[in-house]
Amino acid sequence: MNAEPGFEDAQRELEEIVQRLESGQASLDEAIALWERGEELYRLCAAKLDSAQGRIDELARRVEAVKP
Amino acid sequence: MKVAPIEYGDRKVYTVSGFNRGIADWLTRLPTIWVEGELTDLRRQDRWQSVFFTLKDPADGSCLGVQMPRGQFDSLRLDLTNGERVHVYGRPELFEARGEFRLRALSVERFGLGDHLAALERLKRKLAAEGLFAAERKRPLPRFPRRIGLVTGNDAAAKRDVITSITARFPPARLLVAETYVQGPRAAPAIIAALRELCDAPEVDVIVLARGGGSFEDLLPFSDERLVRAVATCPLPVVSAVGHEQDSPLTDLAADVRASTPTAAARLVVPDLAELLERLARSRAALAGGTRRTLEREQRALAQTHERLRRAPLLLVERRRAALEQTAGRLRALSPRATLERGYAIVRSEGVILRDTEGLSGGDQVDVELGQGGFGARVEETR
Repeated sequence: MNAEPGFEDAQRELEEIVQRLESGQASLDEAIALWERGEELYRLCAAKLDSAQGRIDELARRVEAVKP
Repeated sequence: MKVAPIEYGDRKVYTVSGFNRGIADWLTRLPTIWVEGELTDLRRQDRWQSVFFTLKDPADGSCLGVQMPRGQFDSLRLDLTNGERVHVYGRPELFEARGEFRLRALSVERFGLGDHLAALERLKRKLAAEGLFAAERKRPLPRFPRRIGLVTGNDAAAKRDVITSITARFPPARLLVAETYVQGPRAAPAIIAALRELCDAPEVDVIVLARGGGSFEDLLPFSDERLVRAVATCPLPVVSAVGHEQDSPLTDLAADVRASTPTAAARLVVPDLAELLERLARSRAALAGGTRRTLEREQRALAQTHERLRRAPLLLVERRRAALEQTAGRLRALSPRATLERGYAIVRSEGVILRDTEGLSGGDQVDVELGQGGFGARVEETR
């Protein structure tokens, strides 16, 4: 893997992988490679969502603090 | 009847009452006769015993007061109007209490239209034909005149009435009063001069021509052709408040608006300040109310938008997460791992998955991958 993809790109790639696997046309080797890549993309996406949620929570706390 | 004088030495002196009675008595000897003239200044009221009017000689304006019992006058059903020429049958009489001479009428007969009225009718038709009274000539009156010109007699009650009515309705009103003759032969030229004077005065935006009620003759100047033309061509809008409701001098027709009373004239030339202030207050209240409602609506909308703003990112993250988990679920369901979990194994030789024994011989090294973990193995034999 070279440059880390953004969330949307990663998700799109993950979706493509799943569709490819679902079609049943992938060879076993390819399926495993796709699966490994899919898991990697999943971790990436989940991490990005965790990070986004953390920032949102942080921001909400700050807004609450400012409120009278 | 004999009236006895008081004697002061050799001077015989009569009391006023005695003198009047003597004259009245003497007058009764005169015969009952017919008199011709124009009927003017007709005064008739239901609660009066008598009807009063003046007979006028159209040739030189000589006048004769006439009194007639109201019942007799009414029974004639003549429906007379001022200015009509009539023949009156009656006898001279002195109203003793006031020493006033008059004709006590027994009967009245109409004798054609009065000269004045006929002349006026001709003038009216002529000016109407010229379009002087046309509706399209009428100009709207200013809503807030800077100054109001008032043409009136110098001691006229009409003047006071108009001024009082205007200032009562609109206290800040500014008036410019031009006092002038309002009856007699000098009236028409004087009123014309007054109109010009007011037109030339600064800030005058409207002119009120005011004169109280009067006899037909009294109001004649207001039907003078010169004045009627001056009113029609006056550069400023003119309100004619001349005479009473039943009078219709030609200036009424030539003016931009006709007012039947001083109060009506005031209503025409100035707005009602009290009403104006009240409307302003109402508008202001409505404005404040409307603004507050708008503000509240905007506040509610903003609060809603803010709430959506607050929720939107989390919602987005949650949706993404749900989608991601769903995709991940699908990924896992499909992955070979599930197959391996069921007890199958993948065997690789030099990284290549083995599907048959071709090219495989005893002693070869292979890798076995299980559901959990894996191991290296050596081939014993191929079958």
